[in-house]
Amino acid sequence: MANSKSVILKIKRQQTPESKPYWEEFELSYRPGMNVTSALMDIAANPVTRQGKPTTPVTYDSNCLEEICGSCAMIINGQAKMACSALIANLKQPITLEPFTKFPIIRDLAVDRSVLFENLKRVKAWVPVDGTYDLGSGPRQSSEMQEEAYPLSNCISCCCCMEACPQFNDKTGFVGAATIAQVRLFNSHPTGSALKTERLKVLMGDGGIQECGYAQNCVEVCPKELPLTKSIAAVGGQVMWQAVKDLFRT
Amino acid sequence: MASSASSIDTSSARIKEGVAPLRAGQGYSFVLRRLHSLSGIVPIGAFLIEHFISNSEATKGVQAYNDQVKFLTSLPFVHVLEWVFIFLPLLYHGIYGLYIWYKGDSNVGEYPWTGNWLYTSQRWTGIIAFIYIAYHVIDMRFLGVHLMGGGYNNAFSKVWFDFQSPWTIAFYVIGIVAVSWHFAYGVWLFAAKWGLTIGDQARRRFGYVCAALAILLIGIGLWTITGFVQTPAGQVPYVEHD
Repeated sequence: MANSKSVILKIKRQQTPESKPYWEEFELSYRPGMNVTSALMDIAANPVTRQGKPTTPVTYDSNCLEEICGSCAMIINGQAKMACSALIANLKQPITLEPFTKFPIIRDLAVDRSVLFENLKRVKAWVPVDGTYDLGSGPRQSSEMQEEAYPLSNCISCCCCMEACPQFNDKTGFVGAATIAQVRLFNSHPTGSALKTERLKVLMGDGGIQECGYAQNCVEVCPKELPLTKSIAAVGGQVMWQAVKDLFRT
Repeated sequence: MASSASSIDTSSARIKEGVAPLRAGQGYSFVLRRLHSLSGIVPIGAFLIEHFISNSEATKGVQAYNDQVKFLTSLPFVHVLEWVFIFLPLLYHGIYGLYIWYKGDSNVGEYPWTGNWLYTSQRWTGIIAFIYIAYHVIDMRFLGVHLMGGGYNNAFSKVWFDFQSPWTIAFYVIGIVAVSWHFAYGVWLFAAKWGLTIGDQARRRFGYVCAALAILLIGIGLWTITGFVQTPAGQVPYVEHD
């Protein structure tokens, strides 16, 4: 029976990408400082449901356990969160864990988030320095530029911003806030800005920045507190200038 | 232990199932969406403000209102003006707006935050505005006594007779509130999405400006309604109202 020292978890499980999902309940004894990933580890150590039925350990992605790798994002009590930084003491019980709803499920809580990697490749989210000889050191960046850029470089590719976005779905194929923030980061970089025009033109394609509806859930759920809405506005302005230039200067 | 190679394989195989990645160089959604945003401000928003100001002449009485309608209906190329600057932009904004609504998946249940509520309210005020404006245009422009081509003297009484029904007044109040809110928040969205208000502070400050704009428009609209409602029947010329 549940007492003040126990933790009840309701977990949405799915054996294969195609099979039907089902729910399982687990009861764990509470330990101070417990978080959702450590709870999932406890389940893996003793995979028995609350009803006493032996089951398989729950599949989930995780790596760093300190909110820096971005892999353990899932739906915790209805909202996109990082499992490692979601402290059990701060969560309403029973705690429900579900996989992300807008990404293909691999198994249980593990989903395929490669769409973000694909989008980052399409906007060329990098500084182009590859070549056959040493290009030397790049231009110096002012401390003001660094202060703008650093928060953007904190993105951990967890995809929480995309999961919580009402516009990120099959109908729009919206690129999502994370990629737009990286466009801002690399456009602001003195060497990275060599690809600025290319990035902005890519963001005008279907699923581009125009699909943003400014619901601003992205900036609220972002575990790394990236200035996502500011980035969408800034890059939105850059894309508009690019469109005006394309229209009147070519 | 899954090798990294096999996990890359599953990723590339599955990406077809989820949300599609960015389609560079494909489609016209950028132009259509930006045109939707712009058309809400110019010409629709500009006309809305003109319309609210012109209608507020009703508070000065029957003659002032009819004179204003006379001025507007006697503008040169008035039919071209109303189709190019009113009807066609309204049709585009309304129909493409419905498409935008269809494509979004509102999730205020899971994420009940201010921005998300405003996102959802923009869709609901949009559909209310669509229904209200459709009724309003058909009723006032295309049905009943015609105000174009010299019919301006019937303008005040046409509205006045409509307002004899409290249901019509209620519908107008709902319509005015929805349209004003939709427009004012649309201006805010325009500034944010076109990169005019970039910083969080700028967007917050401009939010107050747009909220004031909404309240001002609602105020003018409701004041205009009182102009009709408070005019006694004796001052209103009788019009055959079919």
